[in-house]
Amino acid sequence: MELEDFDRLRERHPAWRLLRARNAPLVLSFLGRFFIEGNRGPTPAGELTTALDDLLYSIHRTVPERFDAEPASYLENWSSPESGWLRRFYPSGSEEVHYEATPALEKAFRWVEGLQAREFIGTESRLHILVDLLRQMVHGSETDPTSRIQELERRRDAIESELAEAREGRFAVIDETGVRDRYQQFSQTARELLGDFREVEDNLRGLDRSAREKIAAWDGGKGELLEELVATRTGIAASDQGRSFQAFYDFLLSEDRQVELSELLESVQQMPEVGADRRLRSVHHDWAEAAERTQQTVRNLSEQLRRFLEDQIWVENRRVMDLARAVEAAAIAVRDAPPRGDEIGLFVDEPGVPITLPFERPLYDPRPDVVVDSLLPPDPVEEIELEALFAQRFVDTARLAGNIRAVVPRRSTAALEDIIALYPVEEGVSEILGYLTLDGEEMSVEIGGDEIMIEYTDAENKRRRVRMPRVTVTRR
Amino acid sequence: MRGQEEQAVATAVITLMREVIYREVATHERVWDALQRHRASITDHFLAIGIDVVIDEIEGYAFLRTREPEEGEETLPRLVRRRSLTYNVSVLLVLLRKRMVEFESTDGDGKLVLSRDQMLDSMRTFQSGSTNEARVTEQIDRTIEQAASLGFLRELRGQPGAWEIRRILKAYVDAQTLSDFAGKLENYAGKGNTTND
Repeated sequence: MELEDFDRLRERHPAWRLLRARNAPLVLSFLGRFFIEGNRGPTPAGELTTALDDLLYSIHRTVPERFDAEPASYLENWSSPESGWLRRFYPSGSEEVHYEATPALEKAFRWVEGLQAREFIGTESRLHILVDLLRQMVHGSETDPTSRIQELERRRDAIESELAEAREGRFAVIDETGVRDRYQQFSQTARELLGDFREVEDNLRGLDRSAREKIAAWDGGKGELLEELVATRTGIAASDQGRSFQAFYDFLLSEDRQVELSELLESVQQMPEVGADRRLRSVHHDWAEAAERTQQTVRNLSEQLRRFLEDQIWVENRRVMDLARAVEAAAIAVRDAPPRGDEIGLFVDEPGVPITLPFERPLYDPRPDVVVDSLLPPDPVEEIELEALFAQRFVDTARLAGNIRAVVPRRSTAALEDIIALYPVEEGVSEILGYLTLDGEEMSVEIGGDEIMIEYTDAENKRRRVRMPRVTVTRR
Repeated sequence: MRGQEEQAVATAVITLMREVIYREVATHERVWDALQRHRASITDHFLAIGIDVVIDEIEGYAFLRTREPEEGEETLPRLVRRRSLTYNVSVLLVLLRKRMVEFESTDGDGKLVLSRDQMLDSMRTFQSGSTNEARVTEQIDRTIEQAASLGFLRELRGQPGAWEIRRILKAYVDAQTLSDFAGKLENYAGKGNTTND
């Protein structure tokens, strides 16, 4: 790389710019924790703003002068084209704007993270990996069956001798250092892998974009266009990035693989010498999640690209652009004297079908409206007659009994009206009723079937008549 | 009594007659589902009165269109009406349609959202250089409202001034419609120029 390349990267590359930014510690600590360590994909603006607000609040408790802008303005700044640390967009299913971390942010974060001194730097495990990779490359791409068979036989013999030794109780065990070495290698690579997904997704998006641009600008026939796309590996499916990712995805998501990974991670977690990081325990889930997000992006992009390439759409889009430009030119020409109203305009179908049912609307009704007077006049205030409460009459039933005893001999019967004729009513109709309550041991009161009229004088000296059934009183 | 299927079909038919169905709109969820499952019954219903049901799985919308009669077929009276939009609304829609093509050429993923200010800026070039800025602004605002009432623009909830350009615009403002408009406008421009000479 030349001096100019370095200059350019320093000026333009978002990751380098982030490292040079004054607010870098805030950006890295907040966005790094939220998106990278939290392994989060696109997040609604509201959620992100709230999280930043919380962080700023806790910072301001100790250092109030630092970072004094509003959370929303920080986010806008970080997602502006000049920064390029966040991606800002409207996903199809939502009303709210979403933010996503860019690979540049990921790169810068990992780099800074790596500045922290490591306890020890293992070398043995890396050598194993390198040798293994070489083996895969050489033997895996071998097409001659004889050499393949030879290699497999060599491996089988090696395993056989190992088996023989194991049966005799002799086998090599990796020591503590060896395990730690390997674990360190594992954790580093696992985290890098997770980080790489963002870049993979970005690459895929870039591939898609250049494919679309190529298609939109293409002047020739469609056949040639397709050839060109395939030849330059412009499409996702044909590119190295796309194919590698697909292979990874299939490998990771096979059920055997998932089960194996779970078990292995579980066992490693148990090993005391390793001092395992708890977050790595479910790293295969994190990978699967990140891979799924990327896969979803791939699916969306491929589907839309396919659509875009469809004959009709492709031709139509070109025509639309040409016609739109023609309209623009004509509109500018007539702008001082535009056509009025809808003399000249787009002639389109009205969305929907207008349905008016004539009988849904009621016929004219000449009756006057019913006037509803819902305003009730207030009731006049009435004097409540409390007289009745105070005018309770107490009927002395003992006196009534005495009357009966005086008039009616033992074991004989008399009509109530006769008794009343002899002992006129003093306390109104309640007295008559009082007689009726005397039904008991000493006397019995019988109420007959037919009705009679009894005259009496009530308490106010008025003549009254009461119609009641014939009553006879019998003294036992 | 209507069975469950008949109920679903009836609801779908009625909703289609009222408006464009969108997969992503919550109130249309049931109807979209019915469209998938009972597609044949629904399309048959409309076929009988000379109307096509256009269902675009990928874009996620469905709407009605007059079925052009085939060779030898008698024409039916037209139920889906066509009308001429005003000049201002037409120009706005053409600009939006152009933006949509550009959007799909680069990004494709997600919604195309424009701000009122962006639309104002674009439209201003096509208004006369009037000094009455306020009047021009009001006119453009009204044009935006009209486009929204036709269903091509939608203000985002909770974000006044941010307008989503609905993809149904692609179906209604296609090359044919544009071509007619362009032709008429160029004619008008030509006539204007010759009288000025």
